Amino acid sequence: MSHGVYLGDAPVRRPGVSTNPLIRKIQRACKMTLPEPDIALNLDVADYINEKQGATAFDAASTIVKLINSRDTHTAVFALSLLDVLVKNCGYPVHLQISRKEFLNELVKRFPEHPPLRYSKVQRLILTAIEEWYQTICKHSPYKDDLTYIRDMRRLLKYKGYILPKIQAEDLAVMRPTDQLKTVSEIQKEQEIAQAAKLEELIRSGKPDDLREANKLMKVMAGFKEDNIVNAKQAINAELNKLKRKADLLNEMLNTSNDTELQNNETIEELYSALKTAQPKFQKIIEEEHEDDDLVQSLLKFNDAINQLIEKYSLLKTGNKEAAHQINLVTMSDIPAENQTGGALANEINLLDFGDDMGATSPSPTPNTAQPAAAANNANFDPLADLLGDMSISSTPAAPTPGSNMGGLNLGGISLDSTVPPLSDNASPEPAAVPSSSTTAAAADPFDLLSGFSSTSTPSAAPAASITSAPIATPSTGAPASTTSRVTVNESAKVKIDFQLSRESDSTVKVMAMFSNLSVNNIDEFVFSMAVPKSVSLRLEPQSGSTLQAFAKDGIHQNAWIDNATKQSMETKPLKVKWRATYKVNSNPVEETAIFQLPTL
Amino acid sequence: MGNSISKTLGKLFGSREMKILMLGLDNAGKTTILYKLKLNRIKTSTPTVGFNVETVSYKNVKFNMWDVGGQERLRPLWRHYFPATTALIFVIDSSDTERLNEAKEELYSIISEKEMENVVLLVWANKQDLKNAMKPQEVSDFLQLSENLKNQLWCVIGSNALSGQGLLEGLSWISNNTSKK
Repeated sequence: MSHGVYLGDAPVRRPGVSTNPLIRKIQRACKMTLPEPDIALNLDVADYINEKQGATAFDAASTIVKLINSRDTHTAVFALSLLDVLVKNCGYPVHLQISRKEFLNELVKRFPEHPPLRYSKVQRLILTAIEEWYQTICKHSPYKDDLTYIRDMRRLLKYKGYILPKIQAEDLAVMRPTDQLKTVSEIQKEQEIAQAAKLEELIRSGKPDDLREANKLMKVMAGFKEDNIVNAKQAINAELNKLKRKADLLNEMLNTSNDTELQNNETIEELYSALKTAQPKFQKIIEEEHEDDDLVQSLLKFNDAINQLIEKYSLLKTGNKEAAHQINLVTMSDIPAENQTGGALANEINLLDFGDDMGATSPSPTPNTAQPAAAANNANFDPLADLLGDMSISSTPAAPTPGSNMGGLNLGGISLDSTVPPLSDNASPEPAAVPSSSTTAAAADPFDLLSGFSSTSTPSAAPAASITSAPIATPSTGAPASTTSRVTVNESAKVKIDFQLSRESDSTVKVMAMFSNLSVNNIDEFVFSMAVPKSVSLRLEPQSGSTLQAFAKDGIHQNAWIDNATKQSMETKPLKVKWRATYKVNSNPVEETAIFQLPTL
Repeated sequence: MGNSISKTLGKLFGSREMKILMLGLDNAGKTTILYKLKLNRIKTSTPTVGFNVETVSYKNVKFNMWDVGGQERLRPLWRHYFPATTALIFVIDSSDTERLNEAKEELYSIISEKEMENVVLLVWANKQDLKNAMKPQEVSDFLQLSENLKNQLWCVIGSNALSGQGLLEGLSWISNNTSKK
C-alpha cells in the first residue's frame, strides 16, 4: 500500500521484530547468537508474565512452541529452556497453557509416527519436559484436573513406542509443592490468579462446553468470594496444625537425641528451618486477621513456643545442655487453633441430622491410628483425631525415653506409641498433669481429664476408649472400671453439664444428666436436648425443672436411656451424642452445643 | 476443500468476523439488545450473572457479540473478556441520570486498559423511548469523549432496544470503521 519512503506515525523498527514487548523478550531470550540459555533473560520473561497476567501466558506458550519447532536447533534448545523456566516460575497460568491439547500437539509436531533409532537433541529435551511435567504438576498441582492432556500425551507417546527418560529426584524436587504457611490474602490471590487464567482460557477457546463452564466459573468468581475465604481459613488451620506437629516433633527430637545426632541430623535441620521460615508469616496473618481473636491468641502462643524451641536448639548446638534443659516448653496442645472453625462448623450441623455418618468421618478409634495431617475438613469434624494428636503431643516433653522418639518420626501422624510413660528422669513425672494444665479446673475426679478438653468448647470430647487403654491416664487415675461414672460433658462460663453414666443391661446405658449453674445470675428456661446416631435409640425423661438458681449445683437433672449400645459396639465405634442447651440469663438467650463422646461402659 | 473455497469467496466479498464486547452498568439493556439483534424479539431477561454470547450476521460481517453482566461484583471480571476484542459497545441507560457518572467512570476504566487501546468504541444511549431519557448528544457531552479520546474512534448513537431503533446503525458504524484486513 505504501509507495516510496516516508515516515508514518508508527515508530521505525527492524522488520521481523514484534511490537509486543512479551514477544520481543522471548525472541531475545531465544536468539541463536547466544552462547547458552540465558537465565536472566528467561527470568525476565517469567517476571513479565507474572506481572501482566491476562493473555501473556497464552501468547508466550504459542510463541515458544513455534520457536521449539524452528529448524535451528540452537533456538529450539533455548526455547525449551525458557519454557522450563516459565513452568517453574509462573505457576498455574502457564501450566494451563502447556496442558492445552493444541499446544501439546504442536510440541510434538516434529515427532515421526514411529520413534527414530536415535532421538535428536530437541526430541530428547521435549520428552524430558513432558515426563517432568507428568511427574510433578500432574501429580501435585491443586488444579491437576485441568492438566489431564499432559498425561494423555505421555500415554500416547509411550504407546507409539517412545521411551520417556528417567527424571532425577533432585529435578523433581524443584517443582514439589511447598508446604508453606500463607496468609488468607495470599491464598486468595493465588486462587484469583488461577481462576482468572482458567476463565480467560475458556473464553478464548470459545467452545460451547467451555463457555458453559466459563459462565459457572464467573459466578464462582463473582458470587462466592466468601466461599474462598472459608477455604483459605481452613487451609491456614491445616498448615498451622502441620507446623505444630513439626514443632512437637522437633522438641521431642531435641530432648532425645544425643550430641552427635544433633550435629548432623537432616530431619532436625529440616524441622528447624520449616519453623523458622514460618515465623515471619505469623506477623502477616495476625495483621490481616486481627479481628479473629482466637486465631491471634493461638498464633502468639505458638510463636512464643517456637521462639523457645529455636533458643533451645541453638543452645544444644553450642553444647550448652544445662541451659537447654531449663527451657521447658509450653506444649502445642494448649493452642487450639482449629477450635474456632471446628466449633462453628459443629454448630451448623443440624441436631436432627446427626447420624451415623458423623462416626464415619472419624477414623477407627484404636489409639495407634496415624492421623492424616492435611485433612483439614476431616480434622474439623474429627474430635478424636484432634484429641489423639493433642494427647500424644502433650506427653512428649515428659517422655525422654530413649528409643521412643522413633515412633513419632512420621510427620503426618503422631501415634500414641510415643506416649510411653517416662522413666522418671524428668522434672514432670506425672504426664496426666500436662493435658489438664490447659484447662480450668483440675480435680480429683478421674474424668476431669475429660472435662478439661470439652470445656475448651471444641466439639470434641474425650475418647474414653483411649483413656482406659492408653497408659497416659493410669498413673494418676487408677482403674476407672466402676459401672457408674460421672463425666463432665461441658463447662462454660455459666453452666456445667455432667453425665452420670451407668450400664443397666447389656444393651442399655442409663444417662443421668445434671446441670449446675456456675454464675451469679439465675438461669431461666433451661432446655437440654440430645441426639444420638441412628444405630442406637434414645429415651428421654422430662427435665426436673427449667430454672437454675445462682450457683445451684446439679439444680436440674434429667434421665435418659440409650438402647442398643452394647459394650462391644461402643468399643469398636465410640458412641457420640450431640447435645444442645438453650437458656436465658437476664433474659438474654444463650445456646451451647457440641458433640460428646461417651466413655465405654 | 469446500470450506477453503467459501473462505476465499468470503474474502473476496469482504465477509469477516469480529469479536464485539458489550459492557455497561446493570440494567442498561445489554441482554435485551443482544437478543433483539439475534432473534428480533424482546426476551425478558433477568439480570445476567455471567455472560451471553451470540453471533449476529449483518452485511457480510459476523459479529461475535459478548454480553457480560454489569452487576457491580461482575465488573472486576470484565477485563478477562478484553483479549482479541475488535470493538467495544458500551450501553448506557439514558434515563438513569443518577448513575450516569458511575457509568462514565466504568467506561473510562475500561478504555484506559492497554489491551483496549486499539478498539473502536460505540456508545449506545439506550432507552430513548423513555420520556426522561437524555438525548444522545447530551450523553455524549457528559462523557466528554471528544476531549479525552484522541487516538480512538468513537461514536454515540441513541438506541431503543424495544423497537430496534439505532441498533443496526451502530453495527454498520462498527463494520465501516474497523479495518478490512
